[in-house]
Amino acid sequence: MIEAVNLAKVYNQGKKYEVEAVTDANVIAEDGEITVFVGPSGCGKTTLMSMIGQLLTPTRGKVLVNGEDITAYSDGWKAVFRRENVGFVFQHINLLPNLNALDNVMIPLFCQDVDPKEYREPALRLLEKLGLAERAFFNVEQLSGGQQQRVAVARALITQPKIIVADEPLTFVDEESARTITDFFGKLREEGKTILISTHVFNLAKLADKSYYMKDGRIINSSTG
Amino acid sequence: MKSRFKNLAKYALSCIRRYKVRTLVILVCLGIAASVFSSISFLKDGLIAEGELSLKYAPDLTVQGISAGRQSFIDTRYADFIRGIEGIKRVEPRVWGYGNIGNTLLVIVGVDPNTINASAGTTSATPYPLEAGSFLSPQGSGMVVIGKGVSDLLGAKVGSVLTMLSESNEAFQYFVVGVFNSESTIYNADMILMSIGDAREFFDIGEDRASDLAVYLNDVEPSSYNSVLNQVARRISAITNSRVLTKDVVLKAQETTYGARSGYFSVTWYIILIAVAVIAFNQTVVVGHESKFEVGLLKALGFSTTDVIQVRLIESTILGALAASIGLTIGIMYDVVLNAPILRDFMLGWATLYPNFAVPTFITAQTVFLTYAVTIVPLLFATVIPSWVNATVDPDIAMRGARA
Repeated sequence: MIEAVNLAKVYNQGKKYEVEAVTDANVIAEDGEITVFVGPSGCGKTTLMSMIGQLLTPTRGKVLVNGEDITAYSDGWKAVFRRENVGFVFQHINLLPNLNALDNVMIPLFCQDVDPKEYREPALRLLEKLGLAERAFFNVEQLSGGQQQRVAVARALITQPKIIVADEPLTFVDEESARTITDFFGKLREEGKTILISTHVFNLAKLADKSYYMKDGRIINSSTG
Repeated sequence: MKSRFKNLAKYALSCIRRYKVRTLVILVCLGIAASVFSSISFLKDGLIAEGELSLKYAPDLTVQGISAGRQSFIDTRYADFIRGIEGIKRVEPRVWGYGNIGNTLLVIVGVDPNTINASAGTTSATPYPLEAGSFLSPQGSGMVVIGKGVSDLLGAKVGSVLTMLSESNEAFQYFVVGVFNSESTIYNADMILMSIGDAREFFDIGEDRASDLAVYLNDVEPSSYNSVLNQVARRISAITNSRVLTKDVVLKAQETTYGARSGYFSVTWYIILIAVAVIAFNQTVVVGHESKFEVGLLKALGFSTTDVIQVRLIESTILGALAASIGLTIGIMYDVVLNAPILRDFMLGWATLYPNFAVPTFITAQTVFLTYAVTIVPLLFATVIPSWVNATVDPDIAMRGARA
């Protein structure tokens, strides 16, 4: 279980353009559930997701994973936490150019004490499940936005993380890819993964076991089911 | 842990392949800098080694005449005065100078055949080991022994006849009786040996004068050598209008000359190095957005700050080593195969250099190591520091900053 307690982020603190992107957010995400953050663009969803995923240090508050305060970890331990527990899917896709789809999927393995060769077949299977079997060796620049995002989903899953953090995963994605990705998240929930998704598309919220509605950096409402 | 390092190294290699332009710019710039540095260093080391070699057979002291502040002939009567100084083994008046064969300027040295050990092939015993023919006969005149470089240059062999224009503007003919091949490239390049009598006649120098006086000391303990040498030199310096040179002074003059000349090029090299550092830094900044984004992404995907720095360290070390290797290869080819065009004229500073003159090149482990060090270290600074700066911020900030 992931619990965010009074989480807040202030950018440019003490400076002229100080802005509080997230204010006192309290979130609970259960294992084997999809938790969705819904709200308009600029409401602080990405910042909140980044803080929960340890990509961003909160100004205040803490994140507990199974009761342990991971915000108190050192930079090195946060990296270990991300490496062993979290798979990220970004709004801007964020694949590395000049590499093919398979190589992009394998990148998280390069900081692990494993032989990446052993993960080649699982990586190809993941791409196949996401409908990219024939595109595995294509340079990512040759893929459409939707295909690229599916590669990014495969990359997030190659290390079999317990937690999936997906920030606006459908923003730059065509309808077919959106359907594939949405279905895939449903299957991951069945596997017991803890999934956090941010979206401004209310349709995606239909997947949610729990939804948090955000506005101006604050969680204004939540619903279950 | 071993697999992890191997994986990071593989990733670093993939970065070298992915950032093709940056890789190319760094390889070209650093390769040029390393080649300039190594070719100058090898040449400088070669010239200094050559200087040391040429002094191996030099007298302990050389006494030159001075006239109007410039070197001139010395009165041979001073030889008797010097012989009277305690600690002197022998004093030889030497006759040497320059002569032309066609347009080729050569060094003509008068030697006493009785004092030269001319056994063929014994390079440690004589500066003129014979490669062909025989050495000068104490009885004969009109004979010469020529350096291998002169032989190659003029196409002269044992049995050839050389015609040279003497000081009195007469054509003198000499019969080549031998060809020597010295350890010293400079000796071989332009030296002709003849008897001291023939040299006097050729240069029109009477018995009362000599080009200089070669002074040899008695054998002494190495520990007291310098003290004896200085005492003798002080006594000789009492001779008016003369100058006393020790081996050390001559060697230091050579080192200063060649060191200073290579210094000009070193300055040029430093400028190139600074340019390279700026280019490398610029490349890091130009691809900075890309690089910053990549660092943020890698950290998001589980790489630690140490992993990111390790990747850049490996990448820069490989690139730097590759550039240094390319530079060293070019430097060696330039010096050894191409005979250092342009640079050799500058470094040697001689008025005449013959096309067949092989510049002395001395490839030392120290210079090779130094070339690698001065190529890799600046690159490490130029690439690792920005990566470290990027890696110390939150991954989200790094990625957003790169997109902004």
